[in-house]
Amino acid sequence: MMAQQTAPSAAEATTQSESSRLAGILTWMSQNGIFIFTAILILFALIFVDGFGSLMNITDVFHRAAPIGIVAVGMTFVVISGNYLDLSVVAQVATAGVILIAVSNSYGLFPAILAALAAAMLFALVNGTAVGIFKANAVIVTLATTFIGLGLLRFFSGGSIFFGPPDGPIRTFGLGKIGPIPYSAIVLIIMTIVLGLLLNRTNFGFLVRSFGVNESATRLGGTNTALVIIGAFLVTAVAAMIAGFVLAAFSNTAVSNDGVGYEFRALAAIIVGGTSVFGGRGSVYRTFLGVIFVSVLTNILVLSGISFGYQQVALGVLIVLAVSLDALARKVAQR
Amino acid sequence: MTTTSSADIAIAATGISKRFGGALAVDDVSLRIAPGEIHSIVGENGAGKSTLMRVMAGIIESDSGSVEVFGTPVDPGTRAAIDAGIALVHQELSLVPEMTVAENILLGAFPTRFGFTRYKDLKEIAANALAEIGVSVDLDERVSRLSVALRQFVEIARAVARQPKVLILDEPTATLTPAETDYLLRMLSRLAEGGMAIAYISHRIPEVFEISSNVTILRDGRQVLTAPIADLTPQEVIDNMVGRELKEDLQTHRDATPGEVVLRATDIEAPRVNSVTLEVRAGEIVGLGGLVGAGRSELVRAIIGADNRTAGRVTLTRNGRSVTLSSYTSAVRNGVGYVPEERRTDGLALIMTVSDNIRLPNRQQLSRFGIKAPRKIAEFAQELADKVGLRPPEIEREAGQYSGGNQQKVVLAKWLGRRPDFMVLDEPTRGVDVGAKAEIHRLVKEMADNGTAVLVVSSDLPELLELSDVIHVMRDGRITGSLTREDATEQSVMTLAAGEAEAVA
Repeated sequence: MMAQQTAPSAAEATTQSESSRLAGILTWMSQNGIFIFTAILILFALIFVDGFGSLMNITDVFHRAAPIGIVAVGMTFVVISGNYLDLSVVAQVATAGVILIAVSNSYGLFPAILAALAAAMLFALVNGTAVGIFKANAVIVTLATTFIGLGLLRFFSGGSIFFGPPDGPIRTFGLGKIGPIPYSAIVLIIMTIVLGLLLNRTNFGFLVRSFGVNESATRLGGTNTALVIIGAFLVTAVAAMIAGFVLAAFSNTAVSNDGVGYEFRALAAIIVGGTSVFGGRGSVYRTFLGVIFVSVLTNILVLSGISFGYQQVALGVLIVLAVSLDALARKVAQR
Repeated sequence: MTTTSSADIAIAATGISKRFGGALAVDDVSLRIAPGEIHSIVGENGAGKSTLMRVMAGIIESDSGSVEVFGTPVDPGTRAAIDAGIALVHQELSLVPEMTVAENILLGAFPTRFGFTRYKDLKEIAANALAEIGVSVDLDERVSRLSVALRQFVEIARAVARQPKVLILDEPTATLTPAETDYLLRMLSRLAEGGMAIAYISHRIPEVFEISSNVTILRDGRQVLTAPIADLTPQEVIDNMVGRELKEDLQTHRDATPGEVVLRATDIEAPRVNSVTLEVRAGEIVGLGGLVGAGRSELVRAIIGADNRTAGRVTLTRNGRSVTLSSYTSAVRNGVGYVPEERRTDGLALIMTVSDNIRLPNRQQLSRFGIKAPRKIAEFAQELADKVGLRPPEIEREAGQYSGGNQQKVVLAKWLGRRPDFMVLDEPTRGVDVGAKAEIHRLVKEMADNGTAVLVVSSDLPELLELSDVIHVMRDGRITGSLTREDATEQSVMTLAAGEAEAVA
């Protein structure tokens, strides 16, 4: 070749300046710190917190973590695509639960699942079309579809609580467990693995990430970006539906208030897991750890008799720390 | 170096070093500029010019070295630099599009009383700054409505409004036409006569010889030489920039043997494009010349569907089969490649790896049932990185870590992998160093030799003349004339572009 560049040899130099080393550490921490923090937290809880290691408590942690976790691993796709979050998962969780119980009471389980799936796809289509084709802001669009979804659900359900039959497949699933691990947690683990593979190994997952990094370059690379966005919302909607099933099965009831607060708890887990709110960077596996971290922390606070108010404060502080670390790492890296 | 005492030197940067990651971007560089002096800093992309300027303007902190203005040390940080009288005109425009010209000029320095903005003073100061550089533009116009050239001048007015002792300009002429460039150079000379010290970065060697009194050449972050411009020839400057004798034999033309018409665009209408018809044949390079704003980028984007067209028909023919292109995705699927004008925002995902960037348009052939084939991707990307001469050829590095020239090679590699039938290149070598430019030209010619129909937009006249078999010149959204290789000269292209023949009315 023509040029005898000396840049590569300079690049291999071993001494690094302070700021770039700091950038490296910060980036690594914001993306991988969750592995260490989760391990330390669990170890701490096992040693110092009475009752944390009991089988009943472990089952309880899993039960609480599962539905939020399933929403979170799905919503990770929307976050990585650079569209912040899907607020309407609240409405999606409740809709899926109510449809599951109400429709299966009248028509059987299989039609109920199909009906819930149709509802999930409708959510994804409306959110994805508005955001992906009309370029509307995802936060506003999904706020609107939350109103629409919950409004329709309350209208059709009359706000009543639906009870499943005392025995039957839903009840069996809701109570079932392997050792201390409930079926719901196994669903979470399977969802994490499947969605992890979808994000890391497929062209679709690649395009979601690429879109989050640079929308224009992704489009000009010959991509139908609207489909990518609709797809990201569809993954989220299907996950929210499954979360709704799991939640309804656990209590064997469903009501239009189910899943309140899930949108922000899921986002908290995603952020604490190290997925960047700026899009492009993140992982389903780290979201899973984020869910475990937040759930274990909450559990520790509960077991220590700390009131709900302080639990919320702790979660808030955690999120501020996580997003600040992400933003800081980005800023230092850009210098 | 001169022996004047440091207090007589407008700006003295001494022993500046700055490391990014593993790479030494600036390596012990010292620069002294006297009041009234225009000092050019030249070097290939990635030579460290912009980094050095950003250190001087306090935007980045150097690892070692110091900056003094008239003998007084300047603390790190932009605020300290501004207070010391250093103003930087960025390479990338940094104006706020939704604010007015006047507001942009005084951004960050609004005159206030009791915390309220004094709009009367604001407009007066802005008007003075514009008058000082001799540019007339409506103070209340939103910047988003200005041409690229006018934005550049507003940017300069913004620096001048702070009445700096030292003015730094980082490739201010990259997006300007020759006439606008001329104007800018005269303006800078005037400012220098008024006692301002000016540091001027450019790739364009003739400009450097036209305005500067001294020149500093950087290569790979090191200071190769600093000398009065009168002691050097343009060839010596280039040789010192690239560190080797640039082979002139690259300038030879190909023997073009165009085949069938591959691309036929008929009566294309789009914003800033008025009923344009053109054809590109297999193995032919068609150039689009014209001034910035003539509608060239808009035309090519309308042809391939990257932007919507309001009317017109585009057909792509290969091996006797024709398809009508309706959308950009269908264009890409049918063998169209596109190197966009804005490399950093449209061409590359900078925080993704070279390998991922190459994978983007080639993902289908690098996967099975939508699941990626990692080995295939690595081999494919490596082969292309080697082919385009990426240096260093490390496909797992982030694209943003490479210099402009290397980044542009990655953009080219993305599309080379698809072996496109029709390739559009918009300003393929803007902001690219001399060496990379020659390599990109070689690759474009090679592509045409292999039968691709190529359409090139370029404001770089020598480049346009060197590459094109036919040149269409645009003005006001229309093709005002077409020149064969034999007829085309810089003068004939410029005449058509500026419309001098019809300018009587």
